Amino acid sequence: MKKKLISILLMVSMTAVLLAGCGGSNDTEEGSADSGNDFAGEELTILVSAGWMDNRYDETIERFEETYDVTVDVQTIPADQYSDVLQSKLSTDSCADIFWIQSNPFAIESVIVDPEQYCIDFTGAEWKDKMPESRLSSCEYDGKLYGLQIWHNSPEYVMVYNKTMFAELNLEVPSTYEELLTICETLAGADVTPWFMPGADGWQHQLAFFQIGGAYEDDKPGLYDTLNNNEATFADNEKMLQVLEQFKELSDKGHFGEDWIGTDSTNMMNEFADRSCGMAMANSSFIKQIQDETDSEDEYGLFLIPLGDNDTYPTNPSGPTMFGYNGTEHPELVEEFFNFVTSTDSLQEILNNSPAYTNVDMNDEDVEQHWLPEEEEFMATIDESKTGTPVLQTGTKYTNDYWMNFGADMVAYCQGTMEANDVLKNMDTNRAEAAKVAGDAAWE
Amino acid sequence: MKKKKIYPMYFLIIPIVLYVVFFLLPSILGIAYSFTDWNSRSMDSVKFVGLDNYIEIFTSDKNYISGILNTLKFTVVSNIVKLIPALFLAILLSEKLKGKGIYRTLLYMPSILPFVIIGIIFTSVLNYNNGLLNIVLEALHLDFAKQKWLSELSVVWKSIYGVDAWRGIGYVMTIFIAGLSTIPRSYYEAAQIDGANFWQRLRYITIPMLSSAVMINLVFGITYGLKVFDIVYVLTKGGPGHATEVITTYSYQLYSNGQYGLSTALNTVLLVVTAVIGVFVVKKMSKQEVQQ
Repeated sequence: MKKKLISILLMVSMTAVLLAGCGGSNDTEEGSADSGNDFAGEELTILVSAGWMDNRYDETIERFEETYDVTVDVQTIPADQYSDVLQSKLSTDSCADIFWIQSNPFAIESVIVDPEQYCIDFTGAEWKDKMPESRLSSCEYDGKLYGLQIWHNSPEYVMVYNKTMFAELNLEVPSTYEELLTICETLAGADVTPWFMPGADGWQHQLAFFQIGGAYEDDKPGLYDTLNNNEATFADNEKMLQVLEQFKELSDKGHFGEDWIGTDSTNMMNEFADRSCGMAMANSSFIKQIQDETDSEDEYGLFLIPLGDNDTYPTNPSGPTMFGYNGTEHPELVEEFFNFVTSTDSLQEILNNSPAYTNVDMNDEDVEQHWLPEEEEFMATIDESKTGTPVLQTGTKYTNDYWMNFGADMVAYCQGTMEANDVLKNMDTNRAEAAKVAGDAAWE
Repeated sequence: MKKKKIYPMYFLIIPIVLYVVFFLLPSILGIAYSFTDWNSRSMDSVKFVGLDNYIEIFTSDKNYISGILNTLKFTVVSNIVKLIPALFLAILLSEKLKGKGIYRTLLYMPSILPFVIIGIIFTSVLNYNNGLLNIVLEALHLDFAKQKWLSELSVVWKSIYGVDAWRGIGYVMTIFIAGLSTIPRSYYEAAQIDGANFWQRLRYITIPMLSSAVMINLVFGITYGLKVFDIVYVLTKGGPGHATEVITTYSYQLYSNGQYGLSTALNTVLLVVTAVIGVFVVKKMSKQEVQQ
């Protein structure tokens, strides 16, 4: 009898505790909606990849939190996992209020796939005019505005080189591959890694192939259009094969460093400062970083990647772009955020907090830019007619989605386990797969 | 005589339902999906494509077959590399030894470390230019032994086996220690009186009496080897190039690219391989049990 009583008591108390838990949360939800201003107490969540926001938006976000009495939860995902996480969240309807993608003229279709379902339609927003015309193609789809792209317009991933070292060794800036090879040999002779190549990152070394897209277009005018209409392939393209072979030659000769495949970019700045390397692919703002964060007194400069005798500028109308998630519980707060972050004050804060970037590419004359003299000097040497073609990964469909796979294949090629043409063939196969799945008529 | 049951049969209902819903059903659904073109863009309009995915796996340029072979190779080699040293360590640490408790603990500790930690530590230790291993070799004037541990094709698998062994030997050793403790001392004493040396004692007493411990380690080791993902991914991500890809890393890549159908097909191939080996091992085990 006693045992039965105890077991009944236990069951009742267990049930009571369970129900208390459920009941309690309902009460607090109803309570908070009535107090303060429209948004007070709400939480705005942002899903972003490492490198796209970092600390640059912290000041602006703090001000936003104070102004609207809300909290902002920035969920930063490591870069190599971001696209998996985003895809899972979108397909399970559990995405944050705001999410980012690396956008380009084709990315909305290939990454988000159905922007009408997943994105808030911002058509008519005031901040549209703040974005430069060239970036709109990465933010709009089917005539509607979905994304906001706040990025810089500095030369991206061109060659940064140690001007002082070059002067000491009587080296001139190369404009052809042969000149580059000679320079590499001289630098190697001086016990310096000629071209620092962080292969272990997995996403940097293929820039040498893709950033010179204009060279492929110049070699075969109309190439991009034919690639986008399935009338041409990467495979058997002579210029591309030539560039891959040149890349492998530099690798075989050790000009990328003894173990470029196993080296990542964490120490790149110090390698420059210690004079252990002569050049590397980097953004122009990297020069400012070296000057600010190391005690190097050398001068640095920029030149175009000369693989394939390239002389075209890597125009890239793309960048990390933010979108509002259509399934959010507070769409007005999201709209407020987009308005807030495009104000002159916010843009200035974001620029000031970005030591790696020297300007913010928005139509706002009140923002004080920080252009580097090296950038201005470099841009002055660029021929306007050579800036028309976007880089290969942005100008052609379905290519950027297989960035990492192409990089792995390039490494396999450099190690002798794959042929150059097979690297290109794999890209064609991948693009065909993506096109078929997207229902692209050109690939039927 | 009918044994009195302590618990009634309906106690099994909840565990069985949980097992079916969360393990069996998803596996069967997965196998079903592997015969479709399920991908990230066709979430609501999945089409049946028959054996297309499997044909793709076995005929593609992307060399999934090398992934399957790498997985099998890893299973065999990693077990050899772990079982044999673990056996000797277990024998060593079953003798009268001062502080053997500490040694056992130290050897076991790596197996409780999360894989991500192991990956971060060892990618740093095995770095060619600044890694601890190469710097120590340099300091000992053993420069010729310096290698590109994780980026040279001839060495990268050995590095993976090495790190995997460092992590797994403790666990295997612990099972052997437990098995060794069941062998009566009198057998060894009798053998010593008869003049048997260490190797003969090992061959005629230790190993036969440890057969069940060996079986346990083999079963765990084989299932671990076939499913291996973490240790390979955190060290090399399947690289350099595609040299260290295994079934699971390919499957993960395909999933990331949104090709869910092909990814599940690859996993189904893994399921079949595991099932065949599993059945074989279980058959052998029951034969052994009957013999004993």
